[in-house]
Amino acid sequence: MARIELKNLRKDWGGANAVAGVDLAIDDGAFLAVLGPSGCGKSTTLMMLAGIYQPSSGDIMFDGARVNDVEARGRNVGIVFQSYALYPNMTVLQNVMFPLRFKAVEPAEAEKRARATAALVRIDGLLDRRPGQLSGGQQQRVALARALVKRPHLLLLDEPLSNLDAGLRLTMRTEIRRIQRELGVTTILVTHDQIEATTMADRVVVLNAGRVEQEGTSEDLYERPATLFVASFVGSPPINTFDGQAAGAMLSVNEARLTLTDSVQGPVVLGLRPETVRVDGVGDAGRTNARITAVEPMGREVLYTADSAYGVIRFLEPGAEPRHREGADVPLGFPPASALLFDKASGRRIDARIAA
Amino acid sequence: MTADNMAADSSARARPDWAALARRSWRRRFGGQSMLLAFLIVVSAPIVLPYFWMIVIAFTARTGGVTSDVLWTACAVILPAVLIYSIVHMTVAAHRLRLIAGLILIAIVGALLAALIGSRIHFDNFRFLWRSDFVEEVRSKATAGAQFPSVWNAFFNSLLLAVFQTAIILTVSSLAGYYISRFAFRGRSAFLQGMLVLHAFPAMTLIIPIFLMLHWIGLLDTIAGVMLVLAAIELPFYVFVMKGFFDGVPWDIEMSAMTDGATRRQAFYMVVLPQVRFGLIAVAVFAFIRAWEEYIFVRTFLIENKNWVMSLYLFWVSDDVMGVDYGIVAAVAVFYVLPSFLLYIFCQKYLTQMTIGGIKG
Repeated sequence: MARIELKNLRKDWGGANAVAGVDLAIDDGAFLAVLGPSGCGKSTTLMMLAGIYQPSSGDIMFDGARVNDVEARGRNVGIVFQSYALYPNMTVLQNVMFPLRFKAVEPAEAEKRARATAALVRIDGLLDRRPGQLSGGQQQRVALARALVKRPHLLLLDEPLSNLDAGLRLTMRTEIRRIQRELGVTTILVTHDQIEATTMADRVVVLNAGRVEQEGTSEDLYERPATLFVASFVGSPPINTFDGQAAGAMLSVNEARLTLTDSVQGPVVLGLRPETVRVDGVGDAGRTNARITAVEPMGREVLYTADSAYGVIRFLEPGAEPRHREGADVPLGFPPASALLFDKASGRRIDARIAA
Repeated sequence: MTADNMAADSSARARPDWAALARRSWRRRFGGQSMLLAFLIVVSAPIVLPYFWMIVIAFTARTGGVTSDVLWTACAVILPAVLIYSIVHMTVAAHRLRLIAGLILIAIVGALLAALIGSRIHFDNFRFLWRSDFVEEVRSKATAGAQFPSVWNAFFNSLLLAVFQTAIILTVSSLAGYYISRFAFRGRSAFLQGMLVLHAFPAMTLIIPIFLMLHWIGLLDTIAGVMLVLAAIELPFYVFVMKGFFDGVPWDIEMSAMTDGATRRQAFYMVVLPQVRFGLIAVAVFAFIRAWEEYIFVRTFLIENKNWVMSLYLFWVSDDVMGVDYGIVAAVAVFYVLPSFLLYIFCQKYLTQMTIGGIKG
């Protein structure tokens, strides 16, 4: 178990930049998720933490000690790959015991530890099988056991759930969380799935183009996104965004006019989450008539697409049964506090809000 | 198309004549299979027949000439049996029945062969294996002198050459294939193309320079010299094949092994190599057989008879101004072919994998 710090970490591949100065700190025993789209540098960061890639510059600190020059095998890091990377030529027990072959552990003691870890991840019934004979979820557990058996300073999970089907993903999400809590091992989860990130981790870091966009709890990311990128990446279905022009306290978005609480100048982006936009809400701002162009029942809620004064807007209504037909005209609005404003040029969020 | 039309159309299509369709597809399948079987039998006949004849001669020929009546008698028994089994195979679906039919046919063929040609089978042609005075018997004492080795000497020379050449090729091709598969270095693609060109280049054209080089190095007329030359000439192809196999091993597994505490070398031996074992087996079998069958290079580079290998021994047996004893030549050939044949039989399921690994190049 260790406290992990990344200081201005960079990685260049030839001319291309993969990680452009990442600063991070993970407390001992904490569970951090690194969230970002493919190609944002999250897996590269993970590989640098594991010691497989050498950083181009910057420092990696384990408990305050710089480990840049420590080889992968010296770092005592457990890693679960997306592909699980089990050794097909070994049985499950041999797979789990593999890391202990390189440590000064007595064979009998090693087997005892491997069996205990296998019991922890609930694969004790499968120890004599080969990875090829296991289902995806079982392989996942074996990979987890193999990463944990050496009592790592740091556990790295690289998209661990993306190869599992939906039901299993839900189970493993809870399982990984349980095991992490039980062992108190410092854990970093890399994922492009916001639900995975927000449900499993204590804190989430959003990475984009090799840079940290924002670090915070799930609520921070959802309610107070630092940038337009975070606002669009977190939340499903994605946030509605409209280009607008602010002049003092006046905001014009296409044909709509809104009043701001503070004075702002220049081009801005208005962000409205589909779940905050509603029909006939009490005390709503930005009221406009919209014509519904598509109705998509999603089971628990219905997603509507409508043409409005802002442009094409999507909104959600709870309930399985659609309440509006395609082609119907509905008065739309949103609670003023729920609207988000971003500076168009920098993408950063502006503190100004829509006035009631 | 109107809605009425579509409805009429679909109701017409709703009642196809299933029985007729089933008969038609059965006829097609049967016709296709019999065509295929006939084609395979016709194509394999010119390949199988010479080997079969070789075996027949080795076990039946008496000193002097070769008669073909035994061959044709055997063919007259075996060919109908093959045809009958083909028909059984196509018409009977159950594996058990096929097996029983096959066993009955084999029993009938065996009984017929024993009755018709059984009395003519003998092992006299194989006396070169145990008769130490074989040389004097085949050649007159005056010309024979001490210039001919024993067959076992040649056999062990061949074995030595093939085993060590295979070992060299396995070691170098697996290490080089791994490196080329995993590491990017300047000129990598040029190197790969160069290896393919080398493989396309006829090595025979180099025979005189290689002869001179071996002479200068002092490896002329040694098994080791031939071994090195053969390995060098064959290696580019096998490096290429092994690279294909290593390309199929995911990087994650090595990375995982290294974070688990293995060094790169340990990861290679413990995790990567076991996954390309089929490739190693395929390469080993091909390299062994290639060295076992080698003739031109050994004929050129091995001079003294104590260094002779099996192919040279076979040549010597068939090279006689006084007329050739074909029975003995065929017997030596059977003895010579046996190791390759056994190796092929036991490893053929791995050999077919070579294309899978190699094709990715």
